[in-house]
Amino acid sequence: MAKRTIIPFGPQHPVLPEPVHLDLVMEDETVVEAIPSIGYIHRGLEKLVEKNEWPEMVYVIERICGICSFGHGWGYCKSVEGNLGIEVPKRAEYLRTIWHELSRCHSHLLWLGLLADAFGFESLFMHCWRIRETILDIFEDTTGGRVIFSVCKVGGVRKDISNEKLAEIAKILEGIKKETAEICDVFIEDGSVKSRLVGIGTLSYDEAVELGAVGPMGRASGVAQDIRTDGHGAYSELESFAPVVETAGDSYARCLVRIGELKQSMEIIIEAIEKIPDGELEVVIKGKNPEGNFVARLEQPRGEAYYYSKGNGSKFLERIRVRTPTNANIPALVKTLQGCDLADVPILILTIDPCISCTER
Amino acid sequence: MAILKIGKTVLGSLFNKPATLMYPVIPREYKELTRGHIDIVMEDCILCGICSRKCPTNAITVDRAAKTWSIQRMQCIQCSCCVDVCPKKCLTNESTYTTPDVIKIVDTFEQPEKPAAAGAATSPATSPATADTAAAPAPSADATLKVNDTCVFCTLCAKKCPVGAITVDREAKTWSVDNDACVKCGVCVEACPKKSLELS
Repeated sequence: MAKRTIIPFGPQHPVLPEPVHLDLVMEDETVVEAIPSIGYIHRGLEKLVEKNEWPEMVYVIERICGICSFGHGWGYCKSVEGNLGIEVPKRAEYLRTIWHELSRCHSHLLWLGLLADAFGFESLFMHCWRIRETILDIFEDTTGGRVIFSVCKVGGVRKDISNEKLAEIAKILEGIKKETAEICDVFIEDGSVKSRLVGIGTLSYDEAVELGAVGPMGRASGVAQDIRTDGHGAYSELESFAPVVETAGDSYARCLVRIGELKQSMEIIIEAIEKIPDGELEVVIKGKNPEGNFVARLEQPRGEAYYYSKGNGSKFLERIRVRTPTNANIPALVKTLQGCDLADVPILILTIDPCISCTER
Repeated sequence: MAILKIGKTVLGSLFNKPATLMYPVIPREYKELTRGHIDIVMEDCILCGICSRKCPTNAITVDRAAKTWSIQRMQCIQCSCCVDVCPKKCLTNESTYTTPDVIKIVDTFEQPEKPAAAGAATSPATSPATADTAAAPAPSADATLKVNDTCVFCTLCAKKCPVGAITVDREAKTWSVDNDACVKCGVCVEACPKKSLELS
């Protein structure tokens, strides 16, 4: 038996956008075991609910993460709206859906870029981020922020997008669709890309179910689970769509799932723009405070997220709790790392699309 | 085919404009809605302090004694919450960013002395009128707060008042306002569930 050594990986590592630490137990070049540890970026955002009144708390919750920030705001609002027992106007639901799906597009483009960067394909990385830039411009144009939008509020949305601007967005998306098709071809067909992804870090269907993998990580292993198909927001009124599923369970399959979702998201946005009704943007909530418990679920770009809120009838919520997809995917990551080469570790960490600031809040 | 494709890309890259801006020679274009920084029109501010209480990051400090409004630029997250809650709408969201600095900037704005002849519109001077006098329907800066007999003494107005000028006694069924303390922000009128209050 070869001698075992432990290599500390992270929290500072060129491939990691955020700090996570792994102790890699090695036998020669092969990883035998990976022991993860987190706790480098905890900010105590959930505790702040005691200091901020519930209508203002949404601006804090949005800052859990810089990539899926809109989803966090929406999840919190859904949870508090459930507590208050109010229904959000249709136009607001459509606008939320559009912004959320645009977030998914930019998140997946960001991830594709990071993946290309991880296996050393710099120009592909730059092209992915160049396309992503167009989506960030849409955000700035419609919400005023490129990363944090602050448009979602309990009861609706703060800003409207005029129908002319929506048509403009649909036009821009058509252009993005063409450009992404070119980029995605490289990911799907290029030999050098395939050699770094195919068969690396395979997670079987049974393992994915057992370890509770969510989002693209689970769907790449054949777990056909997508909270959007439950029909929250405006999804119930859009044409039914099936989750993008692959069965191979390796890094290449995870890449294909995200490419599929990127295309699907753009279709959803274009359809939502066609179907968006006119009407109110928010319900005014006066003299009512949340009371009771409510759990809302949402499909974030990285997978399923939970938002729990507990109100006591005062202006301050008693507790909020967020469970993020990365948290659910860490056991699956540890499993895929077992038996892989040291050189593949960065790619495997990236394929779960880790967001540690979400996980720790 | 591949050569043609790569040739096209190379030629394009040679003669096209760069994808990035030559910042700072070419300044960044801001969108209309860009949340750059919070600005205040001090002449209209009544120092009610609602912005400071609603700010999720406690970036705003209102000092009624010194008549100043200050904001910690590094702490502000540009959520525009203060702009939404300001009863006088004197806060605005400007699309440009503040100039960068190496220290954490605190911008303090002082309220100018009220010019006597500068027009009544921006002058919320203390009103000589009492709470019971009848007045014109249009609310103005020197309006007084009145209550009519539909009041149910729910105390919501008193709770919402940013300066604590309203006193409601549920037992004795009395409602009173301290006209000297009242800043005429209209928050109570908005909060009243029975629409019993009027600023006129």
